[in-house]
Amino acid sequence: MYYKTYNIDFNELKLNPSMVETVLGYQEGDDRELVTSLIEEVLTESQGISNIKAEFRVFDNIQFDNETKSVTVNNLNFQVKKIIFTQIKRSDSIALFLCTAGAEIGLRSKKAMQERDFLKGYIYDVVGSEIVEAAADIMQDDLEKMILKNGKKITNRYSPGYCGWDVAEQHKLFQYFPENYCGIQLTQSALMNPVKSVSGIIGIGKEVKNNPYTCRMCELKDCVYRRVREMKH
Amino acid sequence: MENILEKLAYCVENGKINKTSPYPPNMKDQDGADELAKKALEAGIKPDEILENALIIAMAKVGDKFTRKEIYVPQMLMAAKAMNSAMAHLKPFFQSGETKRKGKFIIGTVSGDLHDIGKNLVAMMIEGGGWEVIDLGVDVGADKFLHALDENPDAIVGLSALLTTTMENMKKIVAAIKEKYSASKILVGGAPVTVEYCKKIGADFYSPDPQGAVNYLKQLAS
Repeated sequence: MYYKTYNIDFNELKLNPSMVETVLGYQEGDDRELVTSLIEEVLTESQGISNIKAEFRVFDNIQFDNETKSVTVNNLNFQVKKIIFTQIKRSDSIALFLCTAGAEIGLRSKKAMQERDFLKGYIYDVVGSEIVEAAADIMQDDLEKMILKNGKKITNRYSPGYCGWDVAEQHKLFQYFPENYCGIQLTQSALMNPVKSVSGIIGIGKEVKNNPYTCRMCELKDCVYRRVREMKH
Repeated sequence: MENILEKLAYCVENGKINKTSPYPPNMKDQDGADELAKKALEAGIKPDEILENALIIAMAKVGDKFTRKEIYVPQMLMAAKAMNSAMAHLKPFFQSGETKRKGKFIIGTVSGDLHDIGKNLVAMMIEGGGWEVIDLGVDVGADKFLHALDENPDAIVGLSALLTTTMENMKKIVAAIKEKYSASKILVGGAPVTVEYCKKIGADFYSPDPQGAVNYLKQLAS
């Protein structure tokens, strides 16, 4: 097993209001006056309150089971289900990862919502998600560069709770990291605290592909994220 | 009098909270929902009328626009905030019993799931439809829903889930509620939920958008 830990500076993420507006569904030519200054304000605040950390751990002792659409990493079996299994089944090794934006941005979102400042609460929420996803991108890109040197490739990253992978399996994934690692704790129902955190799996091997995650891969027709994407077209 | 209510409905629909709020830019320095609700009461308009003929109408328009994909989530949230600023003036009348709400609605995101934007949008729209909303938050298990029903046995219940993997918890919660409160009406919603799944788990109604939930509650109340 080998691993790498990251402490990421907010400025490395290179987030800007336009990126957040796109996530909110705004298109070219739309009036953005309602949200732009608020996004700028939240991004400026986020510089001071983010505590961005990530780590991946790579394991070579893996086995795939086509019958159960599962992968065993060392001695623990993950029932990743069909969509993820299809993407990772040709891997030679598996990276498990954790990544967090820190606690504060999630807490500010919750507080704004409780104070009925819904839009600001929503923007904190969206910016928090953008921070953790951008940080995970940095970690993933770096892993890809390291792997490329060995003539191998990586898959996209996949998380428990999505693509049919039971969120409860996050308990197993966390067994590969020390307790309270990166400041992330799991609730009994397998939810992460800080809320703006991600965990997951990445396949590594000569025969794998990094297929971008698209809404077409997913069966959820009324998902709010799909709706936002569809509004752009 | 009607003019005040029309103006109030327009402010709520367009997210004009109060005089100092800069949005929308074409209404700068004009009274918002806050001032107009106060003026309406001072003019002798009954709180029931303000609710029925301004706030509910405005929020229904907002809900319909969202259903037709004509507005984004931020615009809907601004409308909800404007509605809240007007509703604050009506709260004393709700508390004294002078103005009655249409009923109570308990809502929560099911256990194992932290996603709350969809749940919040539904809660806001239902409040804007004249209902008292009891929001239990996220990661809510059957016990918490049952406790809320113990205290409000006539309430209608809404369950939200974003993850396919937490839909199973929705099924467990519906079963627990129906076992203890068989007459309770349960609405379900969220990205992975479908009308077929709603039927399969014994829930009473599914809506793909917030306004559908408001319309269903309206039917139940009539």
